[in-house]
Amino acid sequence: MAGLVGLLILAAIVPLNVAFLVLVERKVAGHIQLRPGPMEVGPHGILQTLIDAVKLLGKEMVTPQSTDKLLFFLAPIIIVVPAFVGFVPIPFSPMMQIREVNVGILLIFAFSSISVISILMAGWASNNKYSLIGAIRSVAQNVAYEIPLLLATMSVIIMTNTFKMGEIVQAQSPVWFIFYQPIAAIIFFIATTAETNRAPFDLVEAESELVSGFHTEYTGMRFSLFFLAEYTNMVIAAAMFTVLFLGGWHGPVFPGMIWFLIKTYFLIFVVMWARWTYPRIRFDQLMNFAWKVLIPIALVNLLITAIVLKVI
Amino acid sequence: MNTPHYGFPEYIKEILTGSKSLVIGLWITLKRLFTRIVTVQYPRQKLTMTPNFRGHIEAIRFDDTKTHHCVACGLCARICPSHVIKVQGEKVRAGALKYGNRYYIDFSKCSLCGLCVDLCPEQTLKFSNEYELVYYSRWDTVIDIMGRLEKSR
Repeated sequence: MAGLVGLLILAAIVPLNVAFLVLVERKVAGHIQLRPGPMEVGPHGILQTLIDAVKLLGKEMVTPQSTDKLLFFLAPIIIVVPAFVGFVPIPFSPMMQIREVNVGILLIFAFSSISVISILMAGWASNNKYSLIGAIRSVAQNVAYEIPLLLATMSVIIMTNTFKMGEIVQAQSPVWFIFYQPIAAIIFFIATTAETNRAPFDLVEAESELVSGFHTEYTGMRFSLFFLAEYTNMVIAAAMFTVLFLGGWHGPVFPGMIWFLIKTYFLIFVVMWARWTYPRIRFDQLMNFAWKVLIPIALVNLLITAIVLKVI
Repeated sequence: MNTPHYGFPEYIKEILTGSKSLVIGLWITLKRLFTRIVTVQYPRQKLTMTPNFRGHIEAIRFDDTKTHHCVACGLCARICPSHVIKVQGEKVRAGALKYGNRYYIDFSKCSLCGLCVDLCPEQTLKFSNEYELVYYSRWDTVIDIMGRLEKSR
């Protein structure tokens, strides 16, 4: 019963949260470029994304003629699933958790790799060279960046001996893990940025070269489902960083929920800030960075952690 | 691969200098984030034009006559390379100076060269600050200079 209530709350909060984040993104982008961002709909444009959502709902869902109809139809549905499932094991506070799963972190990793399949399906089914290039890039990028992501997570798992997210948060009651594992934290942050296809790793949708990547052919609500998934994945990635490295709900004065949300939204702001700072990197640079820099450093970091904790 | 001398120290150095430049980049955009925005919300806010802005020409009002000094000599109409100026004058009484009472320019063909302003012997022409140049018809681009001067009174 509690799980059902939690899922209903999620179904209401996720789209609203995405609308809010899109607005924040546009405002941050605007102010970094010395312009105000959306200003017309509502005071300071706060209703802009809601209006956009209504517009997208009203649009026709075009299916181009030579697409693979079944995959084209399924891809936007599948990409939403990991976005929702990812919230299930996240502990917002000691009481606010939909379900404590024994392998909570693995659950999120497992489901977030489904979104790659969905992107590949969308790119393949579109029968469009740009979509296909974007999808192929997405697969290569996600395969490369899951390795340092998991290695960085393993450094934390070794310290806590558990995959339960609630217990990981409880383990960092006096000192957050970011102080024990700063290198793992940085690697985790970079890898999740790449996993969620955010700039400077947004080669999947690189609009200057690939029109819009895998969702070029999608219109209306199907397009907005991809958008919804992208921003929700960003929230999940930030929430995981908060759980693994920033001490989850721990913090003075305010209740745990508030602290968790402050940390999560601050991380999302950092991701947006990085998006409007760095240019998109080239594909060979992206691959070199993962295989030659992130993975060796993550391995060495994991080795040192293991030696210090288990051998000495 | 890149250079003959790319060894382990260079690898570490590249990572460190790269991280440093990333932080510098973030710091620059953070400062921009809190700088005052420069966009003007146009229909609600308007900028004041700088004095050297070149709109279409208009007549200057002088304090001594409370109106322009145009004597309808027609030099501006002659020098105009686009032939857009039409000026007419009349004599109020015999022996008096000619007095310009009609002055039209076809702004759609004006190239804003400013020869009329430079040439005017009475120095009664100047550039206006008008920049909202939207018209419904080609005939609306014909600007009645004297009419504008009367209206601005």
